[in-house]
Amino acid sequence: MPDTVTMLARLATASLPDASRLQQEVDDRMARIPTRLNAYGYDAWGFHTETAKHALALSTLLYRHWFRVETHGIRNIPQGRCLLIANHAGQIALDAAMIGCATFFEAEPPRIIRGMGEYWLPTVPFVNEAMVRTGSVVGVRKNCVDMLEQGELVIAFPEGVRGMNKLIWERYQLQEFGLGFMRLALETDTPVIPVAVVGSEEQAPAIANLMPLARLLGMPAFPVTLTWPWLGPLGMLPLPVKYRIYFGEPMHFAGNPSDEDDVLGEKVDQVKARIAAMLADGLSARGSIFW
Amino acid sequence: MARAPHDTPEGLFHFGEPAAPAIVAEPPAPVSESWVHPRGGAKPGETVLITGIAGGQGRLIARRLANTFDLVGVDRTYWDGHPPGLRVHKVDIRKRKFEDIFRTERPSAVVHLAFIRHFRGDAETRHEVNVLGTKRLLEYAIGHGVKRVIVLSSSYVYGALPDNPYYMDEDSALNVSRNYPEVRDLAEVDTLATGFLWRHPEVATTILRPVNTLGYYVHSAIGRYLRQRYVPTIMGFNPMMQFIHEEDVAEAVALALQSGTHGVFNLTGPGAVPLKVAIREAGSTAMPFPEPVARAVFRELFRWGLYHTPPGAMNFLKYPCTLDGRRFRHATGFSPLFSLEDVFASVRR
Repeated sequence: MPDTVTMLARLATASLPDASRLQQEVDDRMARIPTRLNAYGYDAWGFHTETAKHALALSTLLYRHWFRVETHGIRNIPQGRCLLIANHAGQIALDAAMIGCATFFEAEPPRIIRGMGEYWLPTVPFVNEAMVRTGSVVGVRKNCVDMLEQGELVIAFPEGVRGMNKLIWERYQLQEFGLGFMRLALETDTPVIPVAVVGSEEQAPAIANLMPLARLLGMPAFPVTLTWPWLGPLGMLPLPVKYRIYFGEPMHFAGNPSDEDDVLGEKVDQVKARIAAMLADGLSARGSIFW
Repeated sequence: MARAPHDTPEGLFHFGEPAAPAIVAEPPAPVSESWVHPRGGAKPGETVLITGIAGGQGRLIARRLANTFDLVGVDRTYWDGHPPGLRVHKVDIRKRKFEDIFRTERPSAVVHLAFIRHFRGDAETRHEVNVLGTKRLLEYAIGHGVKRVIVLSSSYVYGALPDNPYYMDEDSALNVSRNYPEVRDLAEVDTLATGFLWRHPEVATTILRPVNTLGYYVHSAIGRYLRQRYVPTIMGFNPMMQFIHEEDVAEAVALALQSGTHGVFNLTGPGAVPLKVAIREAGSTAMPFPEPVARAVFRELFRWGLYHTPPGAMNFLKYPCTLDGRRFRHATGFSPLFSLEDVFASVRR
């Protein structure tokens, strides 16, 4: 997969007039990220800067030219450890990639986001490796605690698959939030940044989710969109919607991480309410889904 | 600006030079429980019994301990040309004669390495030597007043599973039998020893779980695997793997003995690299096979005795089984001497 990413990135960037400038920009910003690498260029979680650079160059094309992402409030991200909590939608995790581009290109200093992946991702050939080399890991508690203790910028989507694979008429309706992130924030005393992504929820309008087929294939969902699976791999290409990403102010929580679900749920609801409010603001600020 | 070695769970040994000042993370949490037995470490001159002394790792540990302790070794095969001042007995640890060694030599410490980890012999012998042998050894240790026991288990007992975190700590479940049932005896040995640890607090018991051990002398499955000219891998999978040099394992055993550790400890080396980097650094060529093909081929080869690694081992080529080694480093101050380059150089073709 890293080879595939590299190849795709070369192909895509080579067709651009400012390809070498983009490569230079990625190199410069990557050099400013304090990643601890071993002699072979890998960090403690399998992140590989060379692979990540190509993946970033590729995502940047989407970020700048396809989704024309507008980022607000990037300065709210503090130095050191931090937990980004965002809404999740769009059938494929491009919202995570766009947030990653935002923290890499717009934040000062640049940051790499560390995603907490679904449990089935490590079992998918090639995907497992691409995920790890670009900074994500499987979303288990120990991984998250270790990363936060090392001052990383961790991103989690507490809606999980419930949000990612929701149908088009459920867009911008936040699904049930998992409580795990709040336990971890309390346990490690980490600030939470609510993040609202406007645009992702219309990028691939799903009209059905074929769960029996998904179970048969061992996938968490099998969405049917206007283009997928009818057009094959090409059907995975998202609509060129306009993305707006809002980073909220840090929220600090205190309390017992092993409190009952009800107590944690109240705190989670505060985060959810902030994201919902930012989503509402973002939706009223836009003219259409494409501009 | 050079960065001070940092207390990552992995304990990376070689740091890249960060261009910007790194964000300072929290200092490491102090180890709340004491992992050292109140009796303290072994004194020079004490009698130490090493089982499986004629194996590659056994010889290294014997050489490391020979100048400090009065060493006695047992093994099923004799060690020709062993260092002088070392008494080696050719004994099968399943036999009664093994208890005579405890009677006559009166060891105060036992280092247990007599395990069969390969699949060339029959499964029954393997199970007997590993499980029954360990059980007997622990009984004799109690019966004959042994004060310290060190059991060299391995990281494999945790198993390689898709939802493994990087840096599993010692409290993680021993899951290997879930997808690699052929080595359940080794998990059972570990469990036996852990049970002994809690049942007999008067004995300073240490269970070491080292990661993939490589070196000139040690016979390890991963060593044999990496030394092949063409190394089969699973297409689309390239898990991170931790390695440690055999001499560092010997050093860790010596440290555990001398500092009187008491508990279960992961033992990690200089760091982790993806499997394919390890293959490249060992001077071999990776040959990726689609998983269904690889599984079918390995199952048949193993069944007909043409290849001595069961198909369950393939999970270690798919998923990480990487450990958090902080507990042992905090308890003993251990730090690996050999870098990843050194480790790979020791197996390079």
